[in-house]
Amino acid sequence: MSAPTAEPAPGSEPLVTVEALARGFAGVPAVRRVSFTVGAGEIHALCGHNGAGKSTVVKMLSGQLAPDAGRILLDGKPVALRNRQAAQRLGVALVDQELSVVPALTVLENMQLGDIDAGFFKRRRAALRRCREVLDDMGLDRVRPDQPVAALSMGERQLVEIAKALSQRARVVILDEPTATLSEAESRRVFAAVRRVAARGCAVVFVSHRLSEVLELCDTVTVLRDGRDVATRPAAGLTVDGLIVTMLGEAPHRLEATRRPDPDLTHALRIGGLHVPGRLDGFTLTARAGRIYALAGQLGSGASDVLRALAGLHPQATGSVELRDRSVPFRDPVGAARAGIAFVSNDRKGEGLFLGKSVAGNLVATRLDRLGAGGLVGAGRERRTARSLAGLAGLPADRLADPVLALSGGNQQKVFVGRSLGRDDVHVLLLDEPTRGVDIGGRAAIHRLLRDAADAGLVVVFASTELEELLELGDVILTMRDGRVVSTYDGGANGAALMRDMTEGKDAA
Amino acid sequence: MIRRPGPRPEHLVPAAALLLVVIAFAGTPLVTGTALATFDVYNALQGLAQIGLLALAIGLTMIAGEFDLSVVGTYAVGGMIAVQAGQSSAVLGLLAAVAAGAAIGAVQGGLIAWLRIPSVPVTLAAYIALLGLAYALSDGRSITFTNREAILWVDQTVAGVFSPRSLITLGGFALAAVVLGTTRLGAELRAIGGDRRAARVAGVRVERNLVLLFTASGTLAALGGGLLSFSFASANPDPGLRPLLIAAVAALLGGVSLAGGRGTPAGLLAGALSVALLAQIVAVAYLPDYSTQLFYAALLAVVVAVDSPGLRRTVARVRARTRAVEA
Repeated sequence: MSAPTAEPAPGSEPLVTVEALARGFAGVPAVRRVSFTVGAGEIHALCGHNGAGKSTVVKMLSGQLAPDAGRILLDGKPVALRNRQAAQRLGVALVDQELSVVPALTVLENMQLGDIDAGFFKRRRAALRRCREVLDDMGLDRVRPDQPVAALSMGERQLVEIAKALSQRARVVILDEPTATLSEAESRRVFAAVRRVAARGCAVVFVSHRLSEVLELCDTVTVLRDGRDVATRPAAGLTVDGLIVTMLGEAPHRLEATRRPDPDLTHALRIGGLHVPGRLDGFTLTARAGRIYALAGQLGSGASDVLRALAGLHPQATGSVELRDRSVPFRDPVGAARAGIAFVSNDRKGEGLFLGKSVAGNLVATRLDRLGAGGLVGAGRERRTARSLAGLAGLPADRLADPVLALSGGNQQKVFVGRSLGRDDVHVLLLDEPTRGVDIGGRAAIHRLLRDAADAGLVVVFASTELEELLELGDVILTMRDGRVVSTYDGGANGAALMRDMTEGKDAA
Repeated sequence: MIRRPGPRPEHLVPAAALLLVVIAFAGTPLVTGTALATFDVYNALQGLAQIGLLALAIGLTMIAGEFDLSVVGTYAVGGMIAVQAGQSSAVLGLLAAVAAGAAIGAVQGGLIAWLRIPSVPVTLAAYIALLGLAYALSDGRSITFTNREAILWVDQTVAGVFSPRSLITLGGFALAAVVLGTTRLGAELRAIGGDRRAARVAGVRVERNLVLLFTASGTLAALGGGLLSFSFASANPDPGLRPLLIAAVAALLGGVSLAGGRGTPAGLLAGALSVALLAQIVAVAYLPDYSTQLFYAALLAVVVAVDSPGLRRTVARVRARTRAVEA
């Protein structure tokens, strides 16, 4: 790795200066201390493992979050970015990680939406011409300005959003994972457009998991780890492997999967050629009972789509799923549940728990039919079942009556997992990001729960983006990217290899 | 190549509704044996004047993904204030009603936008409070409007089929169409209704727009109520829930979606016209009054089913299958 040169090239005034930014959520620091500068014409990458604080820095820089400490300077002057409008007025454009074009509007309307330069009255002709130019620049010559965005593919929508940000008269352009859902050719277009914008004298902040992309496009790379900037280097002297080492901190090779001996059980779950249009391309796996299978993949890799398809949440999925030699009707959630597949979503608020109801009520919510007869639920049996499940899930018995809302993230997740435990009709446990938003203690407890579930004869399959979790918990680890399996590790995985396969694919340099 | 099904055409529902009703209206002579008179059209437009502004008010809030239940309350209070303040000057009465409506809407919009309270509880509470206010203003009785000049003026025929009241209503739709069609507000409202998070990230001033929206909705409802009480020559403290329900039917026929993000003033006008014409068909054909309700329900059911995602998906699936067989 070459000598650190954090300063921008001589002669170019730093356009953006981030000074000791810090921000926490409910007392948990997400960003502890981050500083970097971006000069005019510079493309500056922010890299870091999940939870390093990239998105929080982006939110502060784009006016969506106020810093707890530190400041942001534009042209050497401190600025207050109170909201998106204030940031836009100061010339900060953003391509958000989540798609933020509105499907109900046309392409042109989306381009103009929130544009502070646009007047109150629409000037259609000039805007149409400009929109056409911007679309052509991005290679979207088949997209018409008056077409509703709802008619475009996901990739096209992402390109429209990027085109929109680049077409604003911005001096600072932030791109947060702009290429996660794009094809190679589409990414090329985006890079060319980003380079043009930088050549105009804009400062570009580029956040991406795809490290070879970062090294190809960016001038400078700042690596974040645990909410701090740990290195800022010119991209020219960096390699993907060197970057991974910097992102993971001390010797990532110590993180090695401990492989358990194969339990002597018959095949339990056979997945053949599972396909979800636009998301998942031919996923095949034979999973034995008693083992834990880890799907490693970033957003858009298809890892969570495997789980959702198995749980019956992708009605357009095709392929075959067999459980104990019987075919599973996996296109509807009730059928999947009847066949013995339990799913713990990554969105425990939206797709899991009844937040206002008690811990006990949530624990028994999916087995009410087994707790009584004739549509009535026996209160005594309900209480006894809830108590035994709380014991299984490691929840304090004195909190059974509390609303789930009042629990910590870790305990909420235990309730969610606990709901699928202790029933003889569940054979497969699927979990998407099983410890998202869970503290360290809760995490260890949930990992133990999953191991116990596997030891009790369940097939456990989980998807995660966290290396430590994948390595700690997975007996077999499958890395995924662009809807396909990149590699399968039956033992012998290490952090660097996983990271490389997840972000770069198999044939990365 | 896989063709993605395109988005639903925005004007399909209102166009279908209006077409069905116009055909039925034109066909009434076949049943009654008497030709249609310009007077029948005038009456239909009077019906439009009665619910049009209310439908516009609700429809606009629905485009932004909200629902203003308080419009009937504002309608009642607007009518009451217009009558009480307009005994000597009708213009003064209408201005007072409109100002009160705007204030009522602005307060609700502020609560919804800045305290982030969903619009249904806020506007439901406001509806009840406004009914109370209308009773308080009138001691619970209907108030007679004695400004004869104004009573005669609002419903006099203009160009055979219009009246000042229906023209003002049409003017309201035209104004809304111009504002939403030529300024950023139209796209911003649909963005707020379609995807609020995205609108916020894009830099749309969601809160300010919501306040403006509810102010507009209160203003339109109060104006509609004021004009109605001039026409009836009296103000009723409780118009009941019927105007709200009919206005909501008109808005749904107008192509707005309860999920927000869809709809235009032109569509809302077509929806309101469909409802008004349907009522007129019942009157012309001497059908019993209750059949109006049955017709509303049937029209809504047919039009909503035509536009339903389930039906569209089935059609798309059948098409794909037949194509696969051909290939």
